[in-house]
Amino acid sequence: MTETRKVCIVAGNTSPFDYNNYHMTIEGMAANVMHETMEDLPEFLLRDIDFVIYSHFSVHFGKQLAAEWIIHDHLGLVGIPHFRVENGGNTGGSALYAAYCLVKAGMADVCPVIGWETMDNVSQSQGAEFIALAADTRYELLVGGIYPIFYAAGALKWMKENKMTEEDFALIGMKNRNNAMDNPKAQWYRNEHKYLTVDDVMNSRLIAYPLKKYDCCLMTRGLAIVIVCSEEYAKEVAKDSGYVTIDGVGLSSCTIRAGDRTAFPGWTERYGAGYPDLTEFAACRNAAERAYKRAGIEWKDSHKQIDVAEIHDAFSSSECQIYKALGWADTDTIAEFVRNRETFMGGSIPTNPGGGLMGYGHPVGATGLMSAIECFYQLTGKIPQKHLSKKTEVPDARVGLVNSHAGTGTSISNFILRTAEGGR
Amino acid sequence: MSKKENPNIHKTTSPPNMKLVKEFRDPETKEVGFKFIDYWISEDKTLFQTHLHYDQLYTWRMGELSPYALGLLDGKLMGTKCPKCGDVFFPPRVNCWNLNCKLMKTEWVELAQTGRVHTYTVAGWSGRSSLKRLPFVLAYVVLDGVTTAIANEIREIKPWDAEFDMPVKVKWVPKEQRIGAITDFYFVPADRWEPSPMNAEKERIKKLCEPVYEWVKTLK
Repeated sequence: MTETRKVCIVAGNTSPFDYNNYHMTIEGMAANVMHETMEDLPEFLLRDIDFVIYSHFSVHFGKQLAAEWIIHDHLGLVGIPHFRVENGGNTGGSALYAAYCLVKAGMADVCPVIGWETMDNVSQSQGAEFIALAADTRYELLVGGIYPIFYAAGALKWMKENKMTEEDFALIGMKNRNNAMDNPKAQWYRNEHKYLTVDDVMNSRLIAYPLKKYDCCLMTRGLAIVIVCSEEYAKEVAKDSGYVTIDGVGLSSCTIRAGDRTAFPGWTERYGAGYPDLTEFAACRNAAERAYKRAGIEWKDSHKQIDVAEIHDAFSSSECQIYKALGWADTDTIAEFVRNRETFMGGSIPTNPGGGLMGYGHPVGATGLMSAIECFYQLTGKIPQKHLSKKTEVPDARVGLVNSHAGTGTSISNFILRTAEGGR
Repeated sequence: MSKKENPNIHKTTSPPNMKLVKEFRDPETKEVGFKFIDYWISEDKTLFQTHLHYDQLYTWRMGELSPYALGLLDGKLMGTKCPKCGDVFFPPRVNCWNLNCKLMKTEWVELAQTGRVHTYTVAGWSGRSSLKRLPFVLAYVVLDGVTTAIANEIREIKPWDAEFDMPVKVKWVPKEQRIGAITDFYFVPADRWEPSPMNAEKERIKKLCEPVYEWVKTLK
């Protein structure tokens, strides 16, 4: 396959992420975020758009099928082709992947990706049950399972096998929420608004052992837009404001039921017997291998070659499991990697400076886009303008990783973004 | 010329003639369609919201998976086995997962009702339908002779006593209460199993569970 055409991101913004305190319809949020995007990028015109990918997970939250038709119509884009991508928690990453493919193939030049979820339309426990409809309802949901429970069952075994502790997970829960305190759009900043200690995480209520409330992500109302485009267009509209190239993409899949990961033939062929079990994220590893290869990142030095990462911290435990699946640490080194605070600001690979799902929020269809947007800000020098201070800026970041993750690891995408030449 | 029948095609009775009915509908189960139940206005009279109630019944046709559901009614765990590679599936897969087996149709087999805990968690929060039985142990159990793990609850145990690799057995809800769904059975510790002495981690889990017990008492 010849890969000649480069695909770029020239702009991106989110609405405020919130739960219960942000009254705004989906089309109102889309118009607001598009306004902010046009302010960031004055030469970008709605007329330039030649395709739109919509990113939305659950129609249950809105009781509205094809809600993207409401947004598309409202933005005045009637006549422009569009479709919606749905892929669980990896909806945002998958939508970005679809836009990348369209532009790469020459099927589109300017392709915004618009994602949202309105999870505060229902109670938290009802919302958890709606999301768990993505588990195999016949076997897993009916026995009382929701995602925090499935994840906890995997995380407990993983914790033991990797000589990790509850406190190690709590460190990550603390990190991302505290990072979010520098981000005015983050739900943690807007709603609870406090700095946490490891003890605060340890003392928060049990969700499913070893996970407590502050080890878990937030349910959110919110919307995000990323402008994906060809390099020619990026040079035309973003030479002053800066842009990134999408140099590596990887998408992979795993079983819907975590219990089927004991001996899946495809994984046994690729990685040997007993992997991933219920503990590791094989789809993340596989997607990272693909993305790294395309971007020229070496597996063993990946954490040295990447400056900043925005990853899918649905749970503090899963962020740690993802470090391993991305090749940043192994069974012998992961505990030390976490305890050395390698992923804190100032560490070797700051991860989720924007707050992640635990701090910024997790409006499913918008989440992967939020991660890409935060990474884009880091790589184009926009953090001082978008965050409250430079505390959460990674100085001179030029290579970023974006990760989006679904199910119990059922679909995972990874992207490598690079600052374009003269792009910051 | 007659075409040779493909033995890997699933066949089900058609027309189905669904005649043997057992109803256990709760009188509270109502289908009302769209129904608004209230509206709310902000103090400054600039924002409006309303609550919409919308419910519906779903038909779950188990089709070729029906032997699994019929087995549950009978107190049997019915899984499947690939005649080619020998992998045994529970939950059942009606076609083999091994690409070399080319979607080989699997065979129904009755499974052992004993197994071991592969991994587990102690749930302190759950979905709306499961809040009142918190805290509970949710485990992934590998039944004896099966390739995959099945998720279900372990009961008749103090949540902090659950452990990796513990032997469990299947226990059935009374026959007249079975509905042909996975909740017709749960796991309990095997007869010979005794909880290990309390240790720091078990004390920790017990402490985390205490407020959950209190919270559940406040639920209506």
